[in-house]
Amino acid sequence: MHERLRQALPSVLSVLLALAVCWVLIALTMTPGTATDAYLQMLWGGIGNWPGYLDGAAATVLTRPLGEAAMKAALLTLTGLSVAVAFKVGLFNIGAQGQMILGALAAAVVGAHVALPAVLHIPAALLAAALAGAAWAGLAALLKLYRGVHEVISTIMLNWVALRLVDNWLVIGPLRGVAEAGQSITGTAEIQATATLPRLLGELSRLNLGFPLALLLAVAVWAWLERTRSGFETRAVGLGAEAARTAGVPVARRTGLAMALAGSMAGLAGAVLVLGTEGRYPGSLGAPYGFDGIAIALIGNNHPLGATLAALFFGVLRAGGTRMQLLDVHKSFPELIQGLALLFVAGRMVWLAMLRRRQPAAPAAAPAVVEVPRA
Amino acid sequence: MLEVVHSLLFSTLDAMPALVFAALGAVLSERAGVVSVGVEGMMRVGAFCAAVAALVMPTPLAVVAGMLAGAALAAVHGFLSIRWRSDQVVSGIALNLVALAGGTFLLESHFGPNGTPPIQQLSRWDLPGLASVPVLGALGNHSAPTYLALLLPFALHFLLTRTPLGLRLRAVGDKPHAVGTLGLSVAGLRWGAVLGGGLLAGLGGAVLSTSVLNRFEQHTPAGLGFMALAAMVFGRWTPVGAFLAALFFAFGDALRIGLASSVPGLVDVVPQGMLQALPYVLTLTLLTLQGQRSNAPAALGVPYEQESR
Repeated sequence: MHERLRQALPSVLSVLLALAVCWVLIALTMTPGTATDAYLQMLWGGIGNWPGYLDGAAATVLTRPLGEAAMKAALLTLTGLSVAVAFKVGLFNIGAQGQMILGALAAAVVGAHVALPAVLHIPAALLAAALAGAAWAGLAALLKLYRGVHEVISTIMLNWVALRLVDNWLVIGPLRGVAEAGQSITGTAEIQATATLPRLLGELSRLNLGFPLALLLAVAVWAWLERTRSGFETRAVGLGAEAARTAGVPVARRTGLAMALAGSMAGLAGAVLVLGTEGRYPGSLGAPYGFDGIAIALIGNNHPLGATLAALFFGVLRAGGTRMQLLDVHKSFPELIQGLALLFVAGRMVWLAMLRRRQPAAPAAAPAVVEVPRA
Repeated sequence: MLEVVHSLLFSTLDAMPALVFAALGAVLSERAGVVSVGVEGMMRVGAFCAAVAALVMPTPLAVVAGMLAGAALAAVHGFLSIRWRSDQVVSGIALNLVALAGGTFLLESHFGPNGTPPIQQLSRWDLPGLASVPVLGALGNHSAPTYLALLLPFALHFLLTRTPLGLRLRAVGDKPHAVGTLGLSVAGLRWGAVLGGGLLAGLGGAVLSTSVLNRFEQHTPAGLGFMALAAMVFGRWTPVGAFLAALFFAFGDALRIGLASSVPGLVDVVPQGMLQALPYVLTLTLLTLQGQRSNAPAALGVPYEQESR
């Protein structure tokens, strides 16, 4: 079997198994018929109601669900990339949530308080978000490199600092939007029309420029990691910092750059949320996209394109999942499917063992263990 | 002034146990070389099962049920990471996600979104004679977990540094091959540490729903498991260090609440959000000043294969 396929197979099987387990759960608590109907609802809610469309229903039965799924997938792709890039250099970025909060805030401020023509306004807001996210992640990288502070602890702390400062102070204090008479708004001032990401299908759906942007960035990150020298060096640091240092790789620079890149991806996720759908920094981000990014990256095998595929799939699931509630199926099932899928991905060794048993002719692939000299 | 110190100390001691137990559980597991990112999930199932169990049995027994639930989740982690040599971070994160979504589903389908019905809290112990002593009096009138949390770190410290079992547990986290060469069971030692860590994390969760609150709520434990990980790293993978770090976090929280209530004008000058961010900024600052390389166990997160060298 092709090696790439063999690598990806456990993830695919895991997702299918998670779907099956949740189907059984719904079937047990309700009826098998309901479970099947719920899954169909989820599918139509995620990729559009094709049967309805072919029967002549309005185009919105297709475009609206697709747009919602793409919107969710864009955010998951970006936070997934953030976690995956950090993993590549050997760091565990728990801080995507905090970086996303800062990115969203920066985009909201630039979007609302700077006057520019649209051609400049959108890039400026995106850039501000990327820089804010990069700065927040860069802080963790600096602490790691120069003071030896473990990135898990620093990113957890930075998450909380971002959340407290932004949600509990800035957006209800100095940056709070001014409400008109008789209105009450939560969050910052509304961004200007020039900063709004254009909708690709007009008013038919909320599908906006954020989606192609996320896909483009995924390919760019992949190309950087796989096709450039600095990307190769980054992966080398992740595989063994000491060995990479011995080989002449500037470990500190690669680590800092990768972490800043990770932060900018998470920051951009915040920008896409604010500029694409919310129109302002809302009272809070709503869903823990940053933490979801960890699952997305891992299910995608820490591969930029794998993470994108995982994000697309779970975007569909998340967007369609709300439709399950029409049948009184609980709304946390999409999240449960995501969690179980990751759990089964963790059992990839079990999958591989089972697959190996199926084809006894395959040579026992013993990965060569590189002996890393310790100081 | 004395009253302020007293009340700060009292609320620190009240808030500390859940964090201490979870951090100790993480220390136990990680010293044996198994990453414990799943501690948040274990706390959540511990808290949920304890709250549900307390509806039908005495609260102390319900706490034990919560511990067992934490250990059950840890067993899944053990199965994947010890038996099948899976990536321990992936497994831990997955358990967190499953516990989060599954807990929400079970809670809402059985009790509604507002949490379980109220339960009998663990009773508070009146230590006779302490109440009249200034400041030290804050030690009195807590529930049993607080006192256990004050003793357990030192017991675990003794276990890890002064007993043969402790030596083996630490060795299995640093040089598992050496342990294997001696004919000891690496897998057995790691299983013990992971299950023990699960019991402790479950206890931490159970304390939340039976002592801090009187029910299981939608967001329990709301990131406390990650704080426990932070305490473990802050405390450099030692029981007493993790305990002191947890104590410090709890104190920071008590200080924030205490400051806001005892200096009424303060919230007008310093925004709430800034005060709330204070403990975390303080932690980061202290870590930056402390600034030495962490002493994580050498084989942390590395699956053990007897054949590989």
